[in-house]
Amino acid sequence: MKGSRIKLKAVNVTKIFNDGKRKVTALENFNLEVKENEFTVIVGPTGCGKSTFLYIVAGFEKPTKGEILLDGRPVTKPGPDRGFVFQEPTLYPWRTVLGNVTFGLEIMGMGKEKAREKAMHLIKMVGLKGFENAYPHTLSGGMKQRVGIARALAYDPEILLMDEPFGALDAQTRKVMQQELMRIWEKTKKTVIFVTHSVIEAAYLADTIVVMTARPGKVKGIINVNLPRPRSYTDKEYLSIREKVLSLLEEEVIKSLELQRRL
Amino acid sequence: MTGFRPKLIKLFRFFFPLLTFLAFWELLVDIKLLNPKLFPTPSNIALTLYNLTISNQLLLIYLYRSFYRLVLGYGLGALLGISVGILMGINKYFYRLASPILSLLISVPTIAWVPLFLITVGIGDETIILAIFLGCFFAIVYNTMNGIRSVNKELIWASQMMGANKTTIFSKVLLPGASVSIITGLRLAVGYSWRALVGAEMLASVSGGIGYMVYTARAFNAVNIMFAGLVIIAIGGLLTDRLVLGALERKTIEKWGMIKKRE
Repeated sequence: MKGSRIKLKAVNVTKIFNDGKRKVTALENFNLEVKENEFTVIVGPTGCGKSTFLYIVAGFEKPTKGEILLDGRPVTKPGPDRGFVFQEPTLYPWRTVLGNVTFGLEIMGMGKEKAREKAMHLIKMVGLKGFENAYPHTLSGGMKQRVGIARALAYDPEILLMDEPFGALDAQTRKVMQQELMRIWEKTKKTVIFVTHSVIEAAYLADTIVVMTARPGKVKGIINVNLPRPRSYTDKEYLSIREKVLSLLEEEVIKSLELQRRL
Repeated sequence: MTGFRPKLIKLFRFFFPLLTFLAFWELLVDIKLLNPKLFPTPSNIALTLYNLTISNQLLLIYLYRSFYRLVLGYGLGALLGISVGILMGINKYFYRLASPILSLLISVPTIAWVPLFLITVGIGDETIILAIFLGCFFAIVYNTMNGIRSVNKELIWASQMMGANKTTIFSKVLLPGASVSIITGLRLAVGYSWRALVGAEMLASVSGGIGYMVYTARAFNAVNIMFAGLVIIAIGGLLTDRLVLGALERKTIEKWGMIKKRE
């Protein structure tokens, strides 16, 4: 099942932010291949450009140099072939849970009944059955992110992009959400790029972990995780993966701290 | 405890300070601490109101005149104000063009325009309506524009990701996203339009109106009629605000959790 087909390819992606006063190179010749049906996690120190990379894949930002190829076609702007889950839950407060999930289907022009049916299936899958008519402000942070995930899956994108989606949650909720995400992912087997700075999270979720360097962001190392799921946070092999990632990261975290001090 | 009792408590909380104030006033006039020729008692004002409404129905006719001007001026201001505000919010060239003009004109008190209108448009309804229009126009433009411009960028991105085109983004994201600000503008404008109405009626009315009534009462030293007019103006402003826009607010932005519930 797990093909070795390349779903997404980043070729020499360079991003320089220039506000007229200062030039900051966020990414420099960043190369990456993401395989179909794989869960790829990008970890890196704060400010290494991992979110910038995801924004470029999404089409929110344009690369200064290089390109992103999705199924061989270059990405130029946002579009429904990709799904995005934001760091902060970005739900439409004037739409109910159901309304948020069906929005993409509405835009596609899907009939109301069909869209509702599909959305209800997803709402059930993310564990929010019974909340379909609730407005987002009545939900907790974790529940909001569940809606965000359901919304991004609703229109069946080729690839799901997740930008530290659990970063704002408390530790306990975060763990639950990691387990839930794995359960959902096992059902859909979407190609996923997930950005985080948590090594615990990376080792728990990933098929492939991409460790990034401090700014300017490049690939420092790639670790394949061949552990069966669901994984245990205390399993010996899982912990050794964590150690591997940490040792790669350590140097970069120190570098990134120095970079921050200089600013 | 639903329904009746909390409503009763709410009414009590509103009327208790008011009634205490009126009782004090009545007392101070009774014991001649306040000159009754300058300060008619609340009971006297109530009697005046009764006479003006029931005996000669002057108040009803005047209220109708004022209300007619108010609705036209406010309606026009809301319609054009929201349109211009939207244009300024979505088009940066129009924004650059109109923004400096707006910042200058917004600080001119509406009443200062009236002498000019008296010469150009002439004495009468047109001048009063124009004053009301100007009184609400700028507040509505400013708030609408601000609302559109401050819609969370990620909410727009999320919709682009789902394939939304410009029309969809405008009607399904920008407009509802700006609703809090638009309603705030409309609310402020209710207050401004009452002020403009009363002021303009004093200077430009030939056919009655509440402001006209208060102003002409001066010629007869009829302090009780002046106070009766003030009471009507205060109640009118409060009712239009609470009943019309309060209801709109409860049905939209309050339900969506975009503003806190009013006490």
